[in-house]
This record gives sequence, structure tokens and C-alpha cells, in this order.
Amino acid sequence: MEAPPDNDVIWARSLHHSHNGSPALSGVSVGVHDGEILAVTGPRGSGKTTLLHCLSGQLVPQQGEVWFNSVPVHTMGPRLRERLRRDKFGWIAPEPQLVPELNAWENVALPLLLRGAPHREAKKTGLEWLERLDIGVCAKKRPHTLLQGQRQRIAVARALAASPSVIFADEPTAALHRADRTHVLRTLTSAARSHGITVVLATHDAEVATLADRTVPLLDGRPVATVALPGVSDAEGRAACSLSV
Amino acid sequence: MLALRLARSTHPLALMRRLLVAAASAGVGFLLLCALGYASGHPAHSAAAVLRLLWCFVPLAATVQFAVAVARTDPSTRPRSGLSAVGLGPVRLTVLAAVSTAVSCTLGSMVALLLFLHLRGNLSGLPFDGAAAGLLDADAPLPLAAVLVLLALAPVAAATACGLALRARPVSATVPDDVPEDRPPASVTPPTGLPWGVALIAAGLAVEAYLSRDEGRSLLPLPGRFDATPAGVLAGWTLTAIGLAMAGPGLAYLCGRLLQAVRPGAVRLLAGRALMGEARRIGGPLGVVCAVLSAVIAAYALYGTGPRPFGPLTALGAVLVLGCTSATLLTSALEAKQNRTRTARALLRLGAPASVLWAATALRAAALLVVFAPLTWLVAELAALPLTA
Repeated sequence: MEAPPDNDVIWARSLHHSHNGSPALSGVSVGVHDGEILAVTGPRGSGKTTLLHCLSGQLVPQQGEVWFNSVPVHTMGPRLRERLRRDKFGWIAPEPQLVPELNAWENVALPLLLRGAPHREAKKTGLEWLERLDIGVCAKKRPHTLLQGQRQRIAVARALAASPSVIFADEPTAALHRADRTHVLRTLTSAARSHGITVVLATHDAEVATLADRTVPLLDGRPVATVALPGVSDAEGRAACSLSV
Repeated sequence: MLALRLARSTHPLALMRRLLVAAASAGVGFLLLCALGYASGHPAHSAAAVLRLLWCFVPLAATVQFAVAVARTDPSTRPRSGLSAVGLGPVRLTVLAAVSTAVSCTLGSMVALLLFLHLRGNLSGLPFDGAAAGLLDADAPLPLAAVLVLLALAPVAAATACGLALRARPVSATVPDDVPEDRPPASVTPPTGLPWGVALIAAGLAVEAYLSRDEGRSLLPLPGRFDATPAGVLAGWTLTAIGLAMAGPGLAYLCGRLLQAVRPGAVRLLAGRALMGEARRIGGPLGVVCAVLSAVIAAYALYGTGPRPFGPLTALGAVLVLGCTSATLLTSALEAKQNRTRTARALLRLGAPASVLWAATALRAAALLVVFAPLTWLVAELAALPLTA
């Protein structure tokens, strides 16, 4: 097995994966440098989420290798991968995925509590991060009483509060309006840069990708030079599709 | 037809629950037919026959409760995107659930009728043919209309209760297969029944203690062996049982609150908050199970020492009530678990070890056991005290 380059915090080689036979990734290789913000772009169904799942150890690729800090992730057992996710990775999903029974600061402090941090320390860190993301006033409110943008910022705070090495953000702004979208992305990227956290950001939005240092475009599960497809004129499409239905 | 087609390809466990409903309905139908057999066999003892019929309503109530709990957890009639896409909204699904329940219960009633006729000796050619002809008063003919009415009782009651209970389900046609995230947790406000429940328990015990002083006034005796139970005692027990069922959610909520108090770690926090959220769903059936268990303990303390404590039909009724109430409790716990799948998935995505989730569940169960087991014992002792002293 070839060891990965030293300056890459995550390194994946020729990942292949299919969901019950329908192909999701076919031969993706990617290296994430330490402290950079990497955008994985592409339309829906291009394999972004599957790539992030493979890189973060939630999914073992059917073929290919994933290395984190020179440790192979693809050979780890489920228990070790779970621990890696808990200790080193943060995850931001398109939906906030908060625990409905816990209030805002408890949700943010939950990763720390799961690592066994004392209650007082976890609370302090959680409240600090909520203040930093301008949602300190909602600290004692339950998620269902908050707005979608506030919930998503809580999810960002939860990912940042555990001070992970890498944060995986899978379309973190998909369900938000433009104002909220900018706010969430700006807080995420600036906090990541100031704390030296690596971010892998999956997005279909070219505008969002401009915030990143580097972009990996995906199309149909393959890395491509650009995702811009040739424009299809109406008449051409009609002629090509000559099914009679 | 759709109800049957959906039932055909459901999970075996869901089918098992339906089958249990059918079995419970069969038991109730059998008891009702036995009461009818007694009535037609002993036209002179009409008061005793009415008494037997009235006692059948306790297992009937337990069966209806169980049927509703099963219908709530049934995966095939939950609002979901696949059926919502073809226009089956919450209203039609409620009708579907009621029909499914009626089908299971009717199946049970049919079995009950066959078994009853077989044990009376009316159907021949099988083993145990007419084995209980004496007990079931085989010599008297059965009126057909009465049989039909009694057998329809369980299906109609269960289907109506299902329709009423599921009517209040949230109307959200676009819900995906799992629960939406921003729904408020099951109970945002704490349950308010605790003071009423405690008051009713106390009142029930007081009524029982007061009225049990007059020996021999047996207005509502249990058929068979329990022929000396005064009516006041039964009224007291009923009040106590209602009180326990009302106090259950509040007690469960308090358990959860105590569990997450004073600087909790992850396990205690998750366990306590989940219990507070599920208090309404779990607490009611738990209170009912407590009431039934305390009644059983008290009855055993009173009559269990005799040479022949109870007859076969009383035993059947007791088994039905015990089984239905505990199965309801388990089904409600399952429903709570189903509602938490999304939370559990989010936690696992955070990297929470599965052991944390298991520990939280075990902690919840242990906390409930620690509170409710002594309560059951205490109520049973207090209920038996005025009768044994």
C-alpha cells in the first residue's frame, strides 16, 4: 500500500462505490490539504454526498483507499471509524439534524459530552460558540421554536464546538434563503480559517464554491475538468427524443 | 382490499402484533359467549348472568386499548409519501387503519365462535369435542342474534376507538417516511394529570377502606370464587386504577426530569430528555399496567390462599387483561422508539457510539422501574389492607 503525501490531511485514491447496484462513484481520487477549504461541486446525483460519506468514514468504499493523517480509514472496523468521526470529524448536513429534546446550547455541547467532557466545560464551550455565531439569545430555546437559519447555525456551531480536524459540510445551505445562506457560509468559512480547521464542502452552487480555496468538480461520479455542460436547444432535444408516448 | 394487500407484505413483527390483537379479540369473544351460554342455561339467575356480562367489559377494554396501540404503530397505515402520492391522505389512512383493526378483531371473533361451539360439542369430529359441555351449558340453545351482537362487540369497539384515536394524528401530506425534524417533541408542556391522579388514588383507597367495613353486602360479586367482594371495594379499586392511569404520565415526566438534573453527562441528558418527551405516550399504559398488577397482587393476597382460588374463565379473563395491558405498554414503547429513529440516526452521524444509545434506553427503563414497582406494591398493599385486617 502506497503511503499518501505528507501535507494531505485526507487522501483518497480511485474510490468506487455503488448503492445497490446504481453507481455513485467511479474512480474518484482526491487529496485535501491541511487547513484548506475544498469545494466538491456538481449537480444533484453526481456523487458528492457519497464522496463525503466515504471520506468521513460513514461509508466504506467498495474499492479504493481513504487515508486520514497517514492512517488508513478504509481498513478500520466500524467502532474505530465511529471514534474517528467523534474525535476528529465534524458533520453538517443539509438539514440541521438537531436532537429535538435538547435546547440549543445542549445540542452544541453534545459532541463534547459524548467525548466525556465535564458538564461545566461543555456548557461553557457551547455557549461561547453560540455567541460567536450570533445566536447567543437562542441558547435556551428548543430547536422547534427557532427559524431554519438559526437551526442551521446551531448545526454549524455543533460541528465547530468539538474543534475537529476536518468538517464535512454536505450542502449546508440547501434549505436556506439567500441572506441566511451567506451568513451561514461566512461564519463557517471564517471560523474554519481562524481555527485552522479543514473544510470539505459539497455544493451544487457555483457561487458557494467561490468561497473555497480549491474546487473538485464531479459529474456522474467522476472527477471532471468542468461541470458546465453544452447547452441544449429545444428543437435539438425534441428531434433527439423521438419516442412516441 | 387495500388493507389486506398492505398487510400481506408487512414485516412479520407487525403481522404478529395484528395476530395478537386477533387472539385478544378471540378471548373476549369467548368470554362473552360463555356469559351468553350461562344466561341461556340459567334463565332464573338473571342477575348473575348480567354480572358475568359486566365483568367481560374489563378484558374488552384492555383489548380495545391494545388494538389502538397496535394500530398506532402499524407501519402499513402510517401517513407516508408513497400513499400520499396517490392521494391517500391522513383521513383515508385512518379509515384504512380502522378497517384493518376490524378485520383482525373479526378474525378473532370467528375463532372464538368456532372454539366455543367445538368445546360445547356442537361441532364434532375433532379432539376435545364437547370437553367443556358442562361448563358452557351445552344443553341450552343459543339465540343467533345475541351471538352476532356479542361477537361484533369487540371489532366495532376496536375499530371505532382506532378511528377516534388516529383522527388526531398530525395532518401533513408531504411527510417523508420518517418524522419531520422540526416537529415539536411529543410533549412540550409537562402532563398535568399527576395531582388528579394522586387525588383519585387516595379517594379510591379511602372509599374502599370505608365501604369494606360492612361485610356481606355484595352487590357486584365476581362470578365463581370471588363471591364475597363488596361493591364499594370494586368502586374503590376502579377509582384507584383510573388514578394510576392518570398519574402515570406525570410520574414518568418527573422521572425524566430527575434523571437529567444536576450536571448530566451525555447518557443522562439524552435519557432524561427522551423520557420527558415520551412521558405522555409511555406513562398512560404504564399506569394501567401498574393498576392491573396491583389489583392482581391484592387479589392474590385476598383469595390466593384458598384451595381453588379461581375458575378457568376467570383465569382466562385475568390472562387477557394482563397480557393486553403489558402488550400495550410494549407497543407504546415501540412507537416511542419508532418516533426517535431520526434522532438516533443524527446521533450516530455525530459519532455517538451505539452503546450510548443503549445505555440511555436502559437508564430510562431502570428509572421507570425504580419508581413504578414500589408504587404498584404500595397500592396493592393499601388496597388489600382493609380487606385482610
